Formats: sequence, C-alpha cells, structure tokens
Amino acid sequence: MKKKILLILLGVLLTIGLINVNIYASKRPVKIGFIYILSGPFATYGQFAKKGALMAIDEINKSGGILGHPVKAYFEDSTAKPAVALRAIRKLVLQKKVDILIGLDSSGVAKSVVGTIEQLKTPLIITHAATPDVTGKQCNRYTFRISVNLSQNVKAAAILASKMKAKKWTTIGPAYAFGFQSWEYFQKYLKQLKPDAEFFPKDKVAFPPFKTTDFSPYITKVMNSHPDGVLISLWGGNLVNFIRQAKDMGFFNGKYQVLITLGAAIEVLSALGDKMPEGLWVGTRYWFLANNSKVNKKFVKDYYKRYHNYPSYNAHGAYSAVYVYKKAAEKVKSLNKEKIVKALEGLSIELPVGKIYIRPQDHQAVTDATWGKTKFTKKYPFAILDPIKVFPGKEVTRPVTLTGCNLK
Amino acid sequence: MLLFLISAGLSTVFGVMGILNFAHGSFYMIGAYLCMEIMHIVPNFWLGLIFAPIGVAILGIIVEKTLLNKIYNRDVTFQLLLTFAILLILDDAVRLIWGAGYHIVDPPKILSGVFHVFSNTYPVYRVFIIVMGPVVGIGLWAFFHYTKYGKIFRAAAMDREMAEGIGLNVPAIFTAVFALGTYLAGVGGALAAPFQSVAPSMGEKIIIESFIVVVVGGLGSFPGAFVGALMLGLLESFGTELIGEIQMALPYMLLALILLFKPTGLFGEK
Amino acid sequence: MNKKVLFGLLIIILFLVPYIFSEYWLLILSEILIMGLFAISFNLLFGYSGLLSFGHAGFFGLGAYTAALLIQHNITSIAIIILAGIIITAIISLIIGFLSVKHDEIYFAMITLAFGMMLFTIAHNWTSLTGGSDGLPLMTMPVIKIAGKKFSFFNPSVIYYFTLIITTISTFILYRIVNSHFGLILTGMRENKERLIFSGANIRNIRLFAFVVSAIFSGIAGIIFCFFSSMATPESMHWSFSAKPVIMSVLGGAEVFLGPLFGSIVFYVLEQIIRQFTDNWMIFLGIFLIPIVIFFPKGIVGTFLKVFSKEKGGNHE
Repeated sequence: MKKKILLILLGVLLTIGLINVNIYASKRPVKIGFIYILSGPFATYGQFAKKGALMAIDEINKSGGILGHPVKAYFEDSTAKPAVALRAIRKLVLQKKVDILIGLDSSGVAKSVVGTIEQLKTPLIITHAATPDVTGKQCNRYTFRISVNLSQNVKAAAILASKMKAKKWTTIGPAYAFGFQSWEYFQKYLKQLKPDAEFFPKDKVAFPPFKTTDFSPYITKVMNSHPDGVLISLWGGNLVNFIRQAKDMGFFNGKYQVLITLGAAIEVLSALGDKMPEGLWVGTRYWFLANNSKVNKKFVKDYYKRYHNYPSYNAHGAYSAVYVYKKAAEKVKSLNKEKIVKALEGLSIELPVGKIYIRPQDHQAVTDATWGKTKFTKKYPFAILDPIKVFPGKEVTRPVTLTGCNLK
Repeated sequence: MLLFLISAGLSTVFGVMGILNFAHGSFYMIGAYLCMEIMHIVPNFWLGLIFAPIGVAILGIIVEKTLLNKIYNRDVTFQLLLTFAILLILDDAVRLIWGAGYHIVDPPKILSGVFHVFSNTYPVYRVFIIVMGPVVGIGLWAFFHYTKYGKIFRAAAMDREMAEGIGLNVPAIFTAVFALGTYLAGVGGALAAPFQSVAPSMGEKIIIESFIVVVVGGLGSFPGAFVGALMLGLLESFGTELIGEIQMALPYMLLALILLFKPTGLFGEK
Repeated sequence: MNKKVLFGLLIIILFLVPYIFSEYWLLILSEILIMGLFAISFNLLFGYSGLLSFGHAGFFGLGAYTAALLIQHNITSIAIIILAGIIITAIISLIIGFLSVKHDEIYFAMITLAFGMMLFTIAHNWTSLTGGSDGLPLMTMPVIKIAGKKFSFFNPSVIYYFTLIITTISTFILYRIVNSHFGLILTGMRENKERLIFSGANIRNIRLFAFVVSAIFSGIAGIIFCFFSSMATPESMHWSFSAKPVIMSVLGGAEVFLGPLFGSIVFYVLEQIIRQFTDNWMIFLGIFLIPIVIFFPKGIVGTFLKVFSKEKGGNHE
C-alpha cells in the first residue's frame, strides 16, 4: 500500500506543476506591490495607505500610465509580523513579479526583511516604518525611504522639549525597535540641546508589549514616578486605547508636558474623536493643513472628494511613493529595476508634504517634520493642530556620516 | 471579572458535556460585535447587553445541533479539533463581515467617567464589570443548586447513562447547557466591548486565559472559575508592577504549577 | 513496481523540481517539507503515542532561535548548528517531558501548552537575547561551498535543496524509529495501555523517549525554517503555530507515517488556491476540517488506505 501513497505523492506534485502555469499579457502593466498592515489593531494604517495608493494609481492611469504602461496594484497584509511580511514579499516579487515594492508600517518588519529585499534585487520604497537603521547601519542598495524617520521626528521633538521647562523626562513606548529607539534618540538629541535634562532609568520607564490592550498598570507606573515630561511613542490601536484609559486616570491634567511622536495620525485622531485631549504636542509624518502649496491643496481636495475623509500620513505616504516611482521611471525612461534604483538616488520631487530630496548616500529623504498642538474646531470632527510647527528637513535630518551608512 | 464570566461558561460546558470548547473565545467575540451592531441601530448599550448574548446563544444552539452532537462519544482530541475548526470559521467569518480592523464602542453615560478612592482613580465601567462578575456568578450557582433545571443539568453531568435511564432528555439538556455557556460568553463580549476595542483578535486572546482559569480552578467548578479568574487578574496587575518582563508568562507558570501539583484544579473533583 | 524503486523515483523527481517549478513554488514546497517534518515529528507523540502536545512549537522555535543566534555570532558550520539545535532541544524537552508525561490526555495538552507559551514569552520578552517581538533577523546567511562554487541561502534553489536533504534524512531516521521495536511499543501504548503496563513496560520512560525524539526533530525543522526565512521570530513558538502540525496530522492521517506530510501538502496547496480568490482562507480550512474530523477521523490518507485494504481484503501496514 505504500506504493499507492507514493503514486499519490507523484500525482500531487504534477498537479502543483500544472497550477503553476503562467500567462503573460502583451503591453504588460507596471506592477506595484504594496505591503502594509491590513488587519489587527493597526489595520487602519494599511487601509488608509491603500486608499492613497489607489487614488494615485487611478490618477496616473487616467493620464496615460507610467511610460505608457497601465499600472496595476497588488496589496499584501504584513500583519506586523516579520515572517508573514517575508512571505508576502516573496509572493509579490516571485509570483506576481512586481516591478517595485512600496510599504511597511512596522519598524520590526522593516528591519527583518531588508536583507531579503537586497537579495531579491527589487527596490523598496518605505513610506512609514521609521527605524533609522534601514537607512543607517542596515542600509542597502535597494531600500529607500521617503517618509520622516524616527531620528528626524524625534529630533524635532527634542527641539520642542529643549524650549520647555520640563527637566525630568520619562517615556511610554511599545516594546520593540520603534519604542526603544525613539527613547534612545530622544535622550541623545535632548541632551545635546539641553544639557541639564534628566532621563529616568530603565526600571522607571514603561515599555508595554505590542499586544497590550490594558495600559493601566503602565499609566500608574509613570504617574507614580513624577516626571516633568513624557515622551510617548505608542501608535495606532495602542495609542487609542492608551489615551482613552489615561484620560480617565487623569494623566492629561496638565501635570506634565506630553510629546506624542505619532499622535497626529488621522487614524488615531478620528478614532478618538472628542476624547482626544486638547493642548498636547503631537507629531506626524504629514499633516494635511500644514502646507499651503497648490500641490497639497489639490491633493487634500481630491482625496476628500473621493473618500469623504482627510488624508492621513499613511495615505499620503503611499500616494507619494507611487508618484516618486513614476518620476524615477520617467527620469531613466525605463522600468528596469537597476535603472530605477539609480534614478531614485538624488531624486527631488514636490509632494503634498513639500519638497523632498532622496540622498544618494543613504537613500533617506530629506523631508520636513511636522508637529502641532491639538485643538478642536467646529469645522473638523476630530482634533486638528493649532499651532502647527514645521521643522525644515535640513534642520532635523542628521548628516550621512552619523547614520552608519555610506552607499556611495 | 470578564474572565470569570467567560470561564464560567467554558467550565459549565465542560462540566456537563465533557467538551472543552476551543471556540468559546469566538462566541465571546461575536457577543462584542453583535453588541456593537445593535448599538449602531439603536444607540443604547443596555439593549446591546440584553440582546447580543441571546444572538450568541442562538448561534451556539445551531452549532451544537449541527456539529457538536456528532462527537460526544469521541476522544477529547477530536473535540478540541472540531471546536478549533469552528474557531477558524467563526473568527474568519467575523473578519469577512466586519472587516479586519478594530472598532470602538462607547460605554453608556451612566457608566463612563471615573471616581476616586484613596487618591487612586478607578474608571466607573471597570467597577461595573467587577460587580457584575459575582452577581452573575451567584446567580448561576443558585440556578445550579436550587432550581429543578439546575439539578437536572448537574445530574446529566455526573452520569449521562443514569440520567438517560431515568428518562431525562439528555440531548436537549446538552443543547441547553451549550446555549447557556455561549450566552455567558456573549455577555462577557458585550460587556467587554466598551472597554477594549472590538477586533477580530479578541477571541484568541481570551480563550487561552479562559483555559488557564478553568484548569486552575478545576474543570466544571464555578467557585473554581471565580477564584481562578481572580488569581489571574491579580497576577496580571501586580505582575506588571513587579517583574515587567516575565509578566506575560505568569499565567502559564500558574497553569503549570497547578497541573504539576493538583491537576484537577483548586476546586475540582475527579 | 517495487516499493524501493518507486521511492527512488520520487526522490529523483523531487531533486529535479527546481528545473520544473518557479522560484515561488520552490519556496512553497520548502515550506511544505519543513512543516511536514514538524508534523511527522509531532505525530510521533500524537498518532503513535496518543498524546496531544500543544506546545510543540516551542521546540520548533528553539531550533530556529538556536540557529539564528549562532549565525549572528558568525558560526556558520551547518553541522555545528544542527548539533547545537539537537542538544538544546533535547535538554529542554527532557525537562519539560519529564514533568509532562505523567499526565494524560487533556492535562498533557494543557501542561504542554503552558510550557510552550512560557518559551514563547521568553522569546517575546527577553529582548536582549532574542530580539523581542521583532525576532532575530539575519543580515548575512552562511554560504555553502561545494566544489569551489558558493551557494547563498537567499537563493530559493539552495533553500529548497537544503530543505529537501535534511527533511529526507530526518524523515528516514524517524521512519526507522517508528518501525523499530520501540515504535511497536509506542503503538501498543496507544491502543491498550493497561496491557502494556502489565507486560512490564515503563510507560513514563517510553513516553519521555518519544517526547524527546519528537522534540528534537521538531527543532531540526525549526533550524531549517531559520535558514528558509533568514530570521527567527516568536510567532513560531506560539500555540497557534502548535496547532498547525495538529491540523496537518488530522488532515493527512495520524495513523499513517507519511500522513502528516500529506496534511502539509493539502494545507499549503489549499491555501495557495483559495488565496487567489480571497484572503480569508482560514474559514475554508475550518469548513474543510469539519467533515474530516467528524466523518473521516483517519484523515485523507488513512481513510483512503482503509478503503483500499477493505477492497483487497489484505493487510496494510
């Protein structure tokens, strides 16, 4: 009877082979593979990114596509887990044969997949994940980032903090690369600007695990340590739960300065609605009201018309990445991956957030960082930023020599 | 205390029917989603709290009649597998219907806000849940020990053949018990909705915790489930204060300890 | 046709696979083989000894993390990595197994769940050693040098051949164990425990031995997985990962040696087919599982064999 099993195994292998047939079309579409978090507590980020991406692709296809080729999008869910993201990337590059990859929300995922990106020789434009390492110590030829990274965002936070009276700082952040590094860089930058700043040691700061839904023990811990200022790097669903719970516990009663590095995400602000406390300094990668340029006004208007919602920074990131790719393709008049890599290096482009420049030495975009204080107005159903403070890219982006990367 | 409600349902089902329902967490989650849906139509949390668990119980009855009653005589492993398959279906169905993201439900006005005790702040809603726990627990206990139906259930649990012998309609009893178990899970879900975000991962998280509570307390025992849930809750709050990093492992360590030294649980009998 | 010839033919075809299939399918096939090995090892306890372990992913993950840590510290000899994996899983499984095998059925499942999740928590929270929830990504992988040529582990063909060789050897070793005297005792234990005790066998030691062997090969599957994905992550130790070999064993047939491998094939092929249409493929997996659990408890292969042996009226083994 073993024979039967073996025959079956053979049959199965043949069947797999047959499923594997590929059909190619003639004027082939340009294929873009998007990997974002599409499920779980951070799903809104991926969903908003998808909206931004689809709008960009629609606009581009209506005006003739990229170099005459129609653009086709594939979306995969990273679920914020590195192993799943790896599978998704392999599927996009090896099965769907995409020309370029755009995405990544989680720094943890980004750190883990850049090695494979390099081996698969497919360019990746990161639009959200913020660990400085992927354009720093782990930089490689194929990885690019057009969004504000953690070192830029936190530098802006440090600049804000240096002007505040608060001396003793603590932090609450998610227990993974993004949380740890936000705190690390904040200490580094603030110490340079304000030498008398003090930072609480490891046993007093709070790093709740990523999956936490109940933050009350951490809130209590921080409140009981009596800081002057708190750097909060929680984001997404975590931040929403945290703010709701912390507000109930009196955390935002004005006893400390609060800096929330990603508090100005529309994903968070609209989920919280009127529960978002006013007067908090929050950061973002893009704020739809911060830039009065024609490009931005049109983007916000079109986005609102299409989706009845205002573009979040993730939507902006995905939208912009598609246009960045288009410009690169047009610069070298080719879709060849190696040529695209060369075209992306040193690329300047005006995006709704402002002008950015992709440095050839580390593939990181020099782009402005935006912070603001939360405030409610009649016009918008969620808290907006007023006043808004934009930090020019050149002021917050560290020099290449300090990144640990030199691709040129 | 939420944990107690859910574990009580799980324990009852196991106690009477001998089935450890892996999908129990999914019923809990559906309770939360149904509550949310009801609140979309009629923005009244109390209605949601009343009707959502009924919906869950109906689903439970359907599941029991079509699937579970085929495997009562089988190995525990198969029951676990079948209920796991049900979990897969229910969890993904939730994703299909409501999407993969999370939703927020507001607590009713009376129960929102905080009050202060000895310079500590407590959200009112939490206190509400803490009160509901023992209330439901006592209600259930009274039901099982003092009412006719309760006694019938217990009889069927102790000896199925005898029960059938004296004329009790055991299949109907099983259906009723399962409906009760899932109803409790639904109540837990509806209560949880204003407190945590409603998301498709709710089921997975709570099921393991419920398993631990049920085993620690003793399979089939109410007081056990109560004590177990209490212990787990305390472990989690104090654990974070003391030993942040191993905090996640504490429930499992408790489980292991009980299994090693008193496998039938603190209050269990076998 | 002779059994051995057929087997040999199968192996040859498997070796020729990279010339037929796309790189994408090479990776899927590798995953099938890795999980197949994991499931077959798991089944040593489940199908052959009647013990459902819900924490086996802990050993799989131990293998993966051992490999990842060694590679991070620049130890690139594959032999050393596998040896280290075997030693570590053996030690840990001895401890866990010793504490667990006294118990039966559901208590065994619960206690292995507890230990498995403890391992998961260590991996998830001990950030300085294990990288925490981000896991251990490997920037550089060892390079194999054969006959002067270099082979990189980022190359799907290399991953596939490596996986094929190790899983074939491991499966063969497991097959010999199952068909040995020891294997017969195991099956005896599943069928009729009391009889075995009366005939003087030490149940606990037998189970412990099976537990450790099963853990070691799960760990080896984990090591291959680390090479396959160039990372080790805590998810591979989570109980939901432990559920996979259970599903595969039941799908394929827990009483047939290669049953779990079939289960793995069915699992992944089903996933690939369904995901062409929708992302929510788990619901179909559940729907597929239910009739199997209720009506075909011997799994696809098990039932198939039963039907055939009834027709032919002879024995099957």
